[in-house]
Amino acid sequence: MSAGWNTIESDAGVFTYLLTNLGVRDVQFEELIALDADLLRQQAPIYGVIFLFKYPTGEKPSHTPRDGSFDYEAAENLFFAAQTIQNACGTQALLSVLLNKEGEVEIGEGLREFREFTGAFPSELRGEALSNSELIRDVHNSFARSSPFISEEQRLATEDDDVYHFIAYTPLNGVLYELDGLQPAPIAHGACTPDQFPDKVIPVLQRRIERYPANEIRFNLLAMVRDLRIKAQEIGDQNMLYQEEQKRKAWRWENALRRHNFVGFIGEVVKGVAGEKIKQGDYDKWIEDAKVKTRTRYEEKKKAGQDVEEVGA
Amino acid sequence: MSINPIITFKAGMCDLDTSTSPPKITPKPTGGYIYLFEEDELIHFCWRDRNAPMSQPELELVMVPSDGEFKPYTGPEPSSGSTTKSPTNGRIFVLKFSSSTQRHLFWLQSKSQHVQGDPSWFSARDLKIGSIVNRLLQGDEVNVDEEVANISNDRGDGDDETMEDAAPESHGDIQGNIGSGDPFMGDPGNEGEEAREGGADGGRAASIAVQNFLRSMQGNQALGNQQDQRQGNIFTTLPDLLPPAETIQMVDSADTAFVDNLLSYLPPELLLLSQEADDFSSVDPNSETAQAAIEALSLDQKKEILRKVLRSPQFSQGLGSLTQALRDGGLPSISDALRIPVKDGGFTRRGGVPQGGGDAVEAFMDGVKASTKKENEAKKKDEGEDGKMETD
Repeated sequence: MSAGWNTIESDAGVFTYLLTNLGVRDVQFEELIALDADLLRQQAPIYGVIFLFKYPTGEKPSHTPRDGSFDYEAAENLFFAAQTIQNACGTQALLSVLLNKEGEVEIGEGLREFREFTGAFPSELRGEALSNSELIRDVHNSFARSSPFISEEQRLATEDDDVYHFIAYTPLNGVLYELDGLQPAPIAHGACTPDQFPDKVIPVLQRRIERYPANEIRFNLLAMVRDLRIKAQEIGDQNMLYQEEQKRKAWRWENALRRHNFVGFIGEVVKGVAGEKIKQGDYDKWIEDAKVKTRTRYEEKKKAGQDVEEVGA
Repeated sequence: MSINPIITFKAGMCDLDTSTSPPKITPKPTGGYIYLFEEDELIHFCWRDRNAPMSQPELELVMVPSDGEFKPYTGPEPSSGSTTKSPTNGRIFVLKFSSSTQRHLFWLQSKSQHVQGDPSWFSARDLKIGSIVNRLLQGDEVNVDEEVANISNDRGDGDDETMEDAAPESHGDIQGNIGSGDPFMGDPGNEGEEAREGGADGGRAASIAVQNFLRSMQGNQALGNQQDQRQGNIFTTLPDLLPPAETIQMVDSADTAFVDNLLSYLPPELLLLSQEADDFSSVDPNSETAQAAIEALSLDQKKEILRKVLRSPQFSQGLGSLTQALRDGGLPSISDALRIPVKDGGFTRRGGVPQGGGDAVEAFMDGVKASTKKENEAKKKDEGEDGKMETD
């Protein structure tokens, strides 16, 4: 087990550029806002879907899966890795789809080497290899929220105990597979070609979601698809191309801010605002108003019985 | 070659038995010293028997800067608001690494300074020693003599050598749980890498200084809560002081010089993205392209960039993080890095312990007020008039 993986946001922009920085070409992520097969089909070609959800406890591995069937043989023929580190699981889910698409996708030199290196390994060892991979870990960590102020343990200690789970669904060798690093093997959900994927995966996802009380689960669906700008160019849709470029710009903007260490900037901002307040003679009022805001929120939290150790929140 | 230790203190080794759950920590009774020295720019972390010469340590670890951490072992959960204590019947420190799961545990052999003799209570001096070692492991330069002199020592014992030995518990076993079963107990590792984006060099140095400091403070999370319980000073937070309403107002009335200065503390990529160039994807921003980008943008465009940043979730998160850092004892480091002087350098009057909680945030804002007043007055002199900011 190796250490040193930070948490990253589960965001289409983060995941897209994470793969790009690993050397992958022409792949992006699209958030699915509804469980709709037609909506999903519009993003074709689709490599897989990542289902991520936040729930108090994980499902324990069992001898038979609650839906579908374990395919132990498949674990030998495709890239399936056991999950070893919580913080790495998002990246691991991405790779469990990607590393099975070597024929269809340009995965780049670094990942090709990794794939070859782990080719003969059993799944636990593949998981270990992944968590030990400097290339993958370094790129992953480069998207971690730049919070040098809060130590990892502090942050984890103050967050709730909900855990994020990432599960990948992808059609491989004519079968719809569910790849969950916490399960002992890939789970087969019946025959499925890439064309049938949108129609077959949606009901499986629906059944999955229904396992949890509706008001207690928060989830996200990210489809891993071919770069949509290529599609726009293929069909000659200038408007779509423009929109996709704008989306990329927005993602790059957000990623730049995510990485950025704001200490220096905040120092200048606070001095700037303070300067204005002093000039206007409003400094003390500014501080007092802010104190009232903080106090009020603190009292409300206390009333609601929430943990009030985080005054800053 | 003679060894010049940077710091030496009495400590013993501990055995760690991970076959049980919780793992068992057993202090070894042999009297010894932990000492650190530098060779070829690498820190050597050593332990020797008290009777052994410095050149023959039983344990010698060559440390890569920032790979190791030396923290009080306070159990798997952070202390819930009271003073730093070990959940064992001794004062245990753990040496751990980002590059491996190896851990070494040590117990302090100087006599406990607790008034009632509580053997698991870490005094300010104990914490300071731990903090110094930790900072040395990050690659910081530490003036050990000065640091140690600044701790107020209730007992009046200045020298570790003269302190009485603490006896290991006669039953031999110290129960402790280092949480190896806890899936979240990973090392922070490479958290907080050097600021990659441009921005003023001052901003970058500030960030690194704060990062390094806060790594060393990780064992002392309880500080903020301690302060609250004693003084109940909540004060306020940076997010409450700097919501978009306030910050955007400031941007709206700012002049070019101010705007350009602020932009220099942001990643240059933002400037390039704001231009309509389509082939930006291949451009790696460096200071020339950044400079060219700044010049190409109008004042309005620059202000729009700032407004967007000030409204972003990443900026608010930054405000929250910095507030928490101040509350947790980061004031001296932050004040130093941002060059905003604060009272007593950010330490409490007793020295050795940084301000924490709402007091620290208040002290920070007082420092901001004083600095800003000074700058305003200096500007007034330069401009010679009423010192009003001009808008272009």
